[in-house]
Amino acid sequence: METVQHSVVLFYSMSGALQAEKLFKKSGIAIKLIPVPRQLSSDCGVCLRFERADETQIKATLEKERIDIQGIYPV
Amino acid sequence: MPETVDARGLACPQPVVLAKKALEKAVKVTVIVDNETARENVSRLAANQGCIVSVEEKEEGVYLHLTRTSAKPQSSETSALSGPTVFLITSNTLGRGDDELGSILMRSFMHTLGEASSGPSRIIFINSGVKLVARGSEVLDDLRTLEKAGGEILACGTCLGYYKLKEVVEVGHISNMYDITSALLEAGKVISL
Repeated sequence: METVQHSVVLFYSMSGALQAEKLFKKSGIAIKLIPVPRQLSSDCGVCLRFERADETQIKATLEKERIDIQGIYPV
Repeated sequence: MPETVDARGLACPQPVVLAKKALEKAVKVTVIVDNETARENVSRLAANQGCIVSVEEKEEGVYLHLTRTSAKPQSSETSALSGPTVFLITSNTLGRGDDELGSILMRSFMHTLGEASSGPSRIIFINSGVKLVARGSEVLDDLRTLEKAGGEILACGTCLGYYKLKEVVEVGHISNMYDITSALLEAGKVISL
């Protein structure tokens, strides 16, 4: 479990995060909604954590559905 | 002769209540139960009271032979400021307001709790909080992590029954108000959410 590398994707709004979560769940990508890590932002937002191997697929899905993101960061 | 308590056919928390009463009077007590929840709850009570439990499965029921080993039973009312940290989760959402937001906050909270260095020793789920330990809950992985780290997860049996979730519990023990009350009384710190 410890060996899986994760990244997080940050959104501009909570609704963006929720919309993306629904999409990824439907397409079977393993994601988890978590609070934005402290080192990335001090505000009380949420983001989606995913396995780094899925990054290409994540980006493609978000682009296709036109969900704007603030960025993707390794954690 | 050991004291015998026939708890077959009795609903939670009766078996535990009767077993506890019997243990106050006798050193050796045999409790007969007929379901898994009663068996687990009585066994846990016995362990908390410093008893050795031996189990004998017979056709007519499960015989739990309890033998008290410590001279004094632990009083559940002993004030223990150094006791375990207990979280009391009374709802499947965190805080009052919009439920969608409350659910996000609860998921964030459980994730963070799972990553905290010194997690809680016990998490008690009551009322709609029990939805968090049942199938479909978004925080099952976090709760499993907490359990692996040594945390005890107790879900109110009455509440699971009310929400018809007893058969789909995915993590923790099914517990009763008796266990829950003594867990709160024994706690060094209770964090109620």
